[in-house]
Amino acid sequence: MGPLVPQEIIGANWNLFIAFAIGVGFGFVLEQAGFSSSRKLAGMFYGYDTVVLKVFFTGAITAMLGLLFFSLFGWIDLNLVYVNPTFLGSAIVGGIIMGAGFIMGGFCPGTSVCAAAIGKVDAMVFIGGIFLGVFFFAEGYPLLKDFYMSGSYGPLKLHEVLGISSGVLVLLVIIAALGMFKLGEMAEKKWPREEY
Amino acid sequence: MTIRNIVFLGMVFLGVVIAMVPENTTKPYKLTAEEMVIEVQSAAEMVSADNVAHWLISKDPSLQLIDVRSPDEFQKYHLENAINIPLSVILEDEYRDIVDQGVKMNVLYSNGTLDSHKGWMILRQLGFENNYVLQGGLNYWFDTIMNPQAPSVYSADEEFAKYDFRKAASGALGGGGAVTLTAPAKTKAKKPPIIRKKKKKAPEGGC
Repeated sequence: MGPLVPQEIIGANWNLFIAFAIGVGFGFVLEQAGFSSSRKLAGMFYGYDTVVLKVFFTGAITAMLGLLFFSLFGWIDLNLVYVNPTFLGSAIVGGIIMGAGFIMGGFCPGTSVCAAAIGKVDAMVFIGGIFLGVFFFAEGYPLLKDFYMSGSYGPLKLHEVLGISSGVLVLLVIIAALGMFKLGEMAEKKWPREEY
Repeated sequence: MTIRNIVFLGMVFLGVVIAMVPENTTKPYKLTAEEMVIEVQSAAEMVSADNVAHWLISKDPSLQLIDVRSPDEFQKYHLENAINIPLSVILEDEYRDIVDQGVKMNVLYSNGTLDSHKGWMILRQLGFENNYVLQGGLNYWFDTIMNPQAPSVYSADEEFAKYDFRKAASGALGGGGAVTLTAPAKTKAKKPPIIRKKKKKAPEGGC
């Protein structure tokens, strides 16, 4: 049956509307989870607050389990689900730049929009920074192109690289996530922040 | 036990379940587009008319001919022991055990190879094994097996061997070749009168 959009069970116009609805829901959840505070994301780096880790890994595990069970029941064809192609070199450098931005700014792109929506000025400045970055990247694209495309591996899937079944990988990720949750809570106790 | 621990345990349980079940058991199309490209290029689904003729004569029990043409065409002519599964009903449950099995060798045929290939593509993408296509279809079957043409005198020995086999096959399968086997006398008998007529005609014109 699924995925619904690539198989045109849901039309292109409804696709945009559904994306909008999911986006609003995502923003609402981010705000409810307190992610519009820049201390939450920075806390992940300093160890006094690991809610970000828990929320996103719980989301990832839920999605992984959901997709595999849907596939098992024949509700979705995983071959039709889009997988981002891997460009190893640019992914590593991009990850470092983005991570540094997270710590310095205290926002990720999603939470910055969330925080700007409730009127936080630092988030608006952060968004301005995003647009500046996009502008310079686009203008400098001819210079950066070779690096941007380097280390191309196509749409990699972790379980294929490791040579295990997707189900086993999901189980390993769940165990790893629970371990990280535990570690995160230990870190929260070790480096508490009184005024937070 | 706190709610949090119950949720954790539930997640681990679901993870164990998903790790133990086989992947994608109900996925409709088993082969990806890329895998199909490789299969189509290798042309491994093609079965030559000579092979099919050989199996038919030797009454190979593993051969299952499938006629994908319409029932009307099937009524007019079909290969020996063929069953009629028109393309429109190829996915229906009653034929499922025939097109999706691991014992027999299904050879699909139509007049040309277009319709048989359509059927084969559908079945192959569903992951069904043992389905093949008769090379050239019925048209080629008639040209080669039923009415084999003698190779030219300069042909390789293999060509003659092939021709002899086709002639014999044609005889066994009730084609035009059966006549030619007993025919040498007939054709020889036919030729002289024609020559005579020509001889007679020539003087007539002269008068």
